[in-house]
Amino acid sequence: MVGTIQNRDQFLNQIANRLNRPRITIPIERPNWKYQPQYDVFKDTSQDELLEILKKQCKIIHTKIFTTDLAGLPGVVNDVVTEYGGGPVVTWKDERFSKWGLDPLMKQQWPAHNIELFEWDYTLGDENIHKAENANVGITISEITLAESGTVVLFSDKDKGRTVSFLPATSIMLIPKSSLVPRITQAAVKMREIFQETGHVASCINFITGPSNSADIELNLVVGVHGPIKATYIVIHDL
Amino acid sequence: MAMKIGTEQFKERVDNGLNDEFMRGAVASAQDGMSLKRRAVTTDELGNWEEWRNHAEEIRQHVLEHLDFYLEQLSENVAKRGGHVFFAQTKEDANEYIRSVVQMKKAKKIVKSKSMVTEEISLNAMLQEEGCEVVETDLGEYILQLDDHDSPSHIVVPALHKNKEQIREVFAEKLGYTKTSKPEELAYQARVTLREKFLEADLGITGCNFAVAETGSFSLVTNEGNADLVTALAKTQITVMGMERIVPTFEEMEILVSMLTRNAVGQKLTSYITVLTGPREDLDVDGPEEFHLVIVDNGRSDILGGEFQSVLQCIRCAACINVCPVYRQIGGHSYGSIYPGPIGAVLTPLLGGYDEYKELPYASTLCGACTEVCPVKIPLHNLLLKHREMIVEKEGKAPVSEKLLMKAFGLGAASPTLYKIGSKLAPTALNPFTSGDKISKGVGPLKAWTEARDFPAPNKERFRDWFKSREKGDK
Amino acid sequence: MKVTLFTTCIVDMFRSNVGKATVELLERLGCEIEFPESQVCCGQPAYNSGYVKESKEAMKRMIETFSNAEYVVSPSGSCAYMFHEYPHIFAGDPVWEPKAKALAERTYELTQFIVDILKIEDVGAKLEGTATYHTSCHMTRLLGVKEPPIILLKNVKGLKFTELPGKEQCCGFGGTFSVKMAQISEQMVDEKVRHVEETGAEYLIGADAACLMNIGGRMGRLEKPIKVMHIAEVLNSR
Repeated sequence: MVGTIQNRDQFLNQIANRLNRPRITIPIERPNWKYQPQYDVFKDTSQDELLEILKKQCKIIHTKIFTTDLAGLPGVVNDVVTEYGGGPVVTWKDERFSKWGLDPLMKQQWPAHNIELFEWDYTLGDENIHKAENANVGITISEITLAESGTVVLFSDKDKGRTVSFLPATSIMLIPKSSLVPRITQAAVKMREIFQETGHVASCINFITGPSNSADIELNLVVGVHGPIKATYIVIHDL
Repeated sequence: MAMKIGTEQFKERVDNGLNDEFMRGAVASAQDGMSLKRRAVTTDELGNWEEWRNHAEEIRQHVLEHLDFYLEQLSENVAKRGGHVFFAQTKEDANEYIRSVVQMKKAKKIVKSKSMVTEEISLNAMLQEEGCEVVETDLGEYILQLDDHDSPSHIVVPALHKNKEQIREVFAEKLGYTKTSKPEELAYQARVTLREKFLEADLGITGCNFAVAETGSFSLVTNEGNADLVTALAKTQITVMGMERIVPTFEEMEILVSMLTRNAVGQKLTSYITVLTGPREDLDVDGPEEFHLVIVDNGRSDILGGEFQSVLQCIRCAACINVCPVYRQIGGHSYGSIYPGPIGAVLTPLLGGYDEYKELPYASTLCGACTEVCPVKIPLHNLLLKHREMIVEKEGKAPVSEKLLMKAFGLGAASPTLYKIGSKLAPTALNPFTSGDKISKGVGPLKAWTEARDFPAPNKERFRDWFKSREKGDK
Repeated sequence: MKVTLFTTCIVDMFRSNVGKATVELLERLGCEIEFPESQVCCGQPAYNSGYVKESKEAMKRMIETFSNAEYVVSPSGSCAYMFHEYPHIFAGDPVWEPKAKALAERTYELTQFIVDILKIEDVGAKLEGTATYHTSCHMTRLLGVKEPPIILLKNVKGLKFTELPGKEQCCGFGGTFSVKMAQISEQMVDEKVRHVEETGAEYLIGADAACLMNIGGRMGRLEKPIKVMHIAEVLNSR
């Protein structure tokens, strides 16, 4: 369905008028910018070096970070969930969990230990939000990971509810090492590429940097305000 | 709340500010702390910091020069994704449109994430008229709202002027809060109370940090994650943006978001940067079913094409506020506007007129600290000067005594003869007020100076007399 | 080297010792000094108050006065900056813009001239004691002169140099601001005085007579035993 647009011409004519020229009717090409400092940040840095930068940044953003290979992944995920006080756990519906060997943990071990797991299911509607709201842990996967700022990038879709990353009390983000890039610059470029290739942008792209926080009271940092109170990143080496 | 805050005159507001010991201490330590944090992630970390500023500036200038094109592109792309776009020339237009959405949706419970433009257009007042419960969900804004709608004193940290004990009292009175004034406990109370509000809201309202023309997207920058909850849970979402808050593509958005977070809070990125495009998609469970974008002019187009155009480059980071030595002493409320500090002293008179705000351009020593830090290179102190020129020459609003003095200055300074006579007579003229080498109790313009400071007595022998006699070989 | 001195009205009328020190210092460094009698004020007080029309007359007078100078040197960052602002003020004026530009290109603040043009970093000055230095806003931010005064001061024999906390903060002078917004100005200068005191310095040194008049005037009123010196006076001490 196409939306409505109201009052546009009068509004834009006024702008053109003030700028002392007619309305622009021919599309403006994206300019060749004179300055491009963003590409110099961590230029030619290897994935291993980016990982070290990410680890360092995690200290600043109050986020625990673990690194593991696929074989060790279930153990690390289980340890973090246990440390966070167990379930309920909510995850996206994403075949990568299974591909990465998490099925035995999520589908057998946890239920056996009374750790409730809920997998996002759009056919259930608002029930998903209810589950996310009552979850202790939310688990998501970073599509692009920004070393400089310690940021994970999540793209929403019907199987990847937005609320999984911010309604549960704590948050675990799985990070394939290959998703590491120097900074937000590379993410922006990729987002544009996806748009130009597919003509589509996810309705919500979230750049998340550690747990939620606020310094609104006497500039004292309080970690955990509206979103998760704690966050852990798990970097997976062989991906 | 409109752009104007409080009812007192400038002088009275400044008196109140200067007498508020807690506020002044809080502002001074906030400024010192923020400046350190900002420097760490700007000039210290990025060696080519000037290039970043130059790039941010060129993006903002390009957008302003082609604003009609980018707004058209944005609106097309929002509509393509099923969003509704309303262009609002005035704040009344914006409010009427939002009112119609509220009525159509029968919305009663509204959550908002922090937005300066909705303050500017007095949106909350209209919504309350409609019988809606409106809850501000940014912690700082929420505190102010609970405290009988106290005014923000800073554009990034709105409750900077309040101490935790005052906040505890407000929570106790309004929420029945019984715990201590520890920030963690206060914030937890807000989390619990507001979580309910998020879940039961039928309408979410946000501002907009940067809209992206190419994709019809817009970004929201927070640390608390409140904007995510506002936009994920309510069935209807309204986003209100000042018309200049737009970039061509994600690639320019990235630069300006980086400049914003580094300069506003000294973070490489804040905890949540949320890029939203349209309403939820067909099978999505969360996100709004209906999305409205309201693009507000409200006096901005009058600034375009004129000498003050560069003020529209502003990305609302408050770096200028955090370094301003005048703001440091008088705090945000003294400016009588939701936009305080140097950016406020430039922008407020443009949006609100000189009649109400003619003092603001003079609330600056022209020290240039604001211009030096501005990440989008707005020549703030030059714009303050430009305002003064307008007030004096175009508006004729300067005091008569000052005009006479400046006329005399004009004559004296331009004429060597008059200057020579005047400066030679000065010691004699000021003799009655002089004791030793200083004047402690002056009259006229010197009176204000000598309230707090000694003024030097004029030299009996001016430099020029000394030089002349030296040349003659007398010395 | 021939130097044409732009003393500034404050120095001419209230701080003639600064002018004298400037002359003696520059002569000692091998310059020949000229002082055009027709110089008045650079126009800044009126200009900064919004009286652009009135101030332009003064500016034109100054442009003509210094039209034949090889180097214009001023013991004030703020007033030297004003000359650098002239081309912007006269932008678009076919007669005055080029003249203003020519003047701006030849105008230097005293310490900038010594370090950047004369290429001297040690003027052979001597002053016993501890000192701190107030970096004036117009000189550092607008004229962009940051290092030269520090380089020169660090080479003054006997002088122990301590950095002023919050040095980037304005002292609250701001020209007519100091009388128009006297209350705010007072609070600003008070903070500056507190910072000066914290350093424990015997001398407060600055390169702008106006800022020194402000800080010194407040310290005088509060009877602080800190001596205020213009950098020209310090560099001329032997």
